[in-house]
Order: sequence, then structure tokens, then C-alpha cells
Amino acid sequence: MLERLIRELPRFFSPENLAFLAQGVGMTLALTFIGCTLGFLLAFLLVYLRQTPGWWAAPVRLLAITYVEIFRRIPFLVITYLVLFFIAVFVDNASLFLIAVVAICIYSTAYTAEIIRGGFESVPRQQIEAALAMNFSRWKTLTRVIMPQSWPVIIPPAVAFMISFIKDTSLVSQVGVFELTFRGKELNNMGFSGILVFGTIALLYFLMSYPLTRLGAWLEKRLAASRHHRPQR
Amino acid sequence: MNYTFQFGVALDGLPQLLKGALLTFELGVVTFWGGALIGLFFAALKTFGSRPVRWLAQAYVVFFTNTPALIQIYFLYFGLPEFGIRWSNITCVLIGLTLNAGAYLTEIMRAGFLSVRATELEAAETLGFSLPQQIRYVIVPHIAKTIYPAIANFFIVILVMGTSIGAVVGVNELTGEAINLSTENYRWLEMFIVAACIYVVLTLIASISLALIGRWAFRVKAKIF
Repeated sequence: MLERLIRELPRFFSPENLAFLAQGVGMTLALTFIGCTLGFLLAFLLVYLRQTPGWWAAPVRLLAITYVEIFRRIPFLVITYLVLFFIAVFVDNASLFLIAVVAICIYSTAYTAEIIRGGFESVPRQQIEAALAMNFSRWKTLTRVIMPQSWPVIIPPAVAFMISFIKDTSLVSQVGVFELTFRGKELNNMGFSGILVFGTIALLYFLMSYPLTRLGAWLEKRLAASRHHRPQR
Repeated sequence: MNYTFQFGVALDGLPQLLKGALLTFELGVVTFWGGALIGLFFAALKTFGSRPVRWLAQAYVVFFTNTPALIQIYFLYFGLPEFGIRWSNITCVLIGLTLNAGAYLTEIMRAGFLSVRATELEAAETLGFSLPQQIRYVIVPHIAKTIYPAIANFFIVILVMGTSIGAVVGVNELTGEAINLSTENYRWLEMFIVAACIYVVLTLIASISLALIGRWAFRVKAKIF
């Protein structure tokens, strides 16, 4: 067993294989970043719609709530399959990258929307009432009063979600996107030892995820400090 | 856009999908309790252990929370046979997911341990509480209140995100059954819509019962929605 590992080692870490894996890492990071950033923007829109006042907007609010509640309860793998076969109906030969990004986007929108809503609701009511009294429009209240105060609450969990999603993107390998896990499966199929291949893949995920987790923790501490030092009344 | 939905075919597979849903639920429960035991053990080590023990527990948590559960399962499924250890796919999924859940639950439980303050225990002792009484009236309510919402939420995460990974190595839980049935009748879209609905219903039932249990047993206001 061990001899086999040692025998395979130089062949496994050949320049071609390393480039192959590096592409996988790049793909994983690109998928996560693009998908989650788009998801963040859409989630923002979703929360804005969810907080529309007035009885006429009740269906809009209901729709926003339903979206969040439903897509947080469906596994990411199932969403990926749904997107795969749904897009095939509308677009011929859609790229797998597009499918993966859409799936990640749908899923991360639902999760980030809850984070953003929590952030918005952390702003004291009196602030919003004051803005209302000064005849601020809804958009102006959001951009000038709510958002500046809720960033420190929103950013750390949103970043943490994005980082944790690096790991969850491994599931899109199932529909054939060339990201890190898929590359690992290919190398395994080429006859390399499973322990060697998946050990390396696990290590690569760890090297992506751990430093970013630490960065996120640092960011959280920093932002919490900035919140704390705000002049008190 | 020339696609005709045929839900009839998908609904014919409903009994099989429900059988899959039952396996999903069983996997979720076993993984959760296994993970809870591991979590309790490592949280105790992390809180009360000596320095090397704490470091070891921390290494376990950091490693398992920073690598995908899918890779952990692949490692067990494709890697271990080289050592002559051949587990069935369902064993690999159970062990992989349990170890993974254990790492997350360690962090949750540790937060619970830290929420009990020494001064409160001293106050209870001053009031003449015996040790069982202290546990019953001071420690447990504290821990339950701090960690119950997080734990209830994590159970849903395991039930949905966790168990569906099993489909990748061919376990016939809900997602796996949906894949199996679709490869027979090519109604992927309908089959997965039905499966998604079952997931929504399953997790809604789980969320509501967990919220009610929390309210009744620990007086925790756990959110349903």
C-alpha cells in the first residue's frame, strides 16, 4: 500500500497534473465568487421587495418570503439538477459553467436574504421613524440611514457564507462542471490512488477555506470594534 | 420552449420517492445523534482538556469544517479500499457525515458550555442547591437556551444538505431515488420538482416539531420561519 503511494507520488505531482488541479481550484473559486456575489445583489433586491409597505404589495411580500422559505429547504444538489434540466428547456447547449453559477446564485440568494434582513432589522426603529419624519424617500432611508448602520452586521456572516460555499460547490461536480472535485474524480479514474487523490483535493480545499475563514473572523472582529466605538449618547 | 410537463409519470414514482424520503429522515436522525455525541465529547475536551488535548480537538474541528463533506465521503469510499477496508456506500456516507456533523456540533456545544457562568453556580450553591438541582435548574436551562436554536437549525441543514450528498455515491435516499427513477423514464424535471416538494414538506414538518419541542421542553422561542 505504502509502496504504491510512494511509487505514484512523482507521477501524480507531474507538472500537467498540477496545472490540471490548479485549473480546478480556479474554477471552484470563480464559481463561488461569481455565484455568491450575484446572489448577494439579488438577495438585496429580494429584501427590498419584502419590505415594501402597503396592502397592494402583499403578493410581492408573500412571493419574496416564499422564495426564501422554499429554496432554503431544498438540497443544493437537487437545485443543481433542477437548473440543469430547466435551462435545457429554454436554452440549447447552455454551458455547464452557466448552469452551476445559476444554481449557486439561486441557493445563495435565499440564504443571504435572511442575513441581509437580519442586518436591516438591527437598525433601531427610531432611526427609520426620524427619517420618515424628515420626509426621506424609501430609497433614501435605505441608502442613507439603514445601510450605513447595517453593513457591520451584514458583511461578516455574508462573507462567512461565501467561504463556506467554497466547500458546497463540490456538489456541482455531479453535473460535470470541471471544478476541483471533478478533477479529482478524473485523476482517480486515471488510476491514481484514491487516498493520494482525495487527500490532495481535501488539502487544496483546506488551503482555500482556512485562510479565508481566518480573514473572515478578523473582519468580523474589526467591524464589531468599529460598531462598538461609535460615540454613545 | 416546447416542453410538455408530464407529472403523471413522476407521480407514479411517488411511493418509491417516499421510501427514499424515509431513508433521508433516518440518515438525518442517525447522523445528527452520532454527531451530537462526538460534539459533546470534543466540546468537553476543548473546554476542560489539557493543552495538547485541546489542540487535538481543535485540529479535528478545523480540518472537518474546512473540507467538503463530499470529499470526506469520497476518501472513505474510494480511498480506504486500498487499505483493504471495504465499506458499503451507506456506511461510508453515515461515517463521513457523522464525523462532519460532529465537528460543527462541537463548536455549537462549546458555545453552550461557555454560557454557564461560574458566579451563577456559586449563587446556586449559596442558595443550597444540590448538584443534581444545579444541573437541573441552572446548567441545563442555560445550555438549552443558548444552543437549542442553533442545534435545531443544524438538524435541518443535515437533513437537507447532508443526506443528499449520499446520492452521489449511490445511496437510495430521496435525491438518489429521484435520480434512479429519472434514468428509467427520462422525466428528470418533473421527478426533481416532486422530490423538491417532498424536501420542503419534510423540513417544514421537522422545523415545526422542533420549534414546538423547544417551546414545550426548554421554553426556547425557536423560530419556525
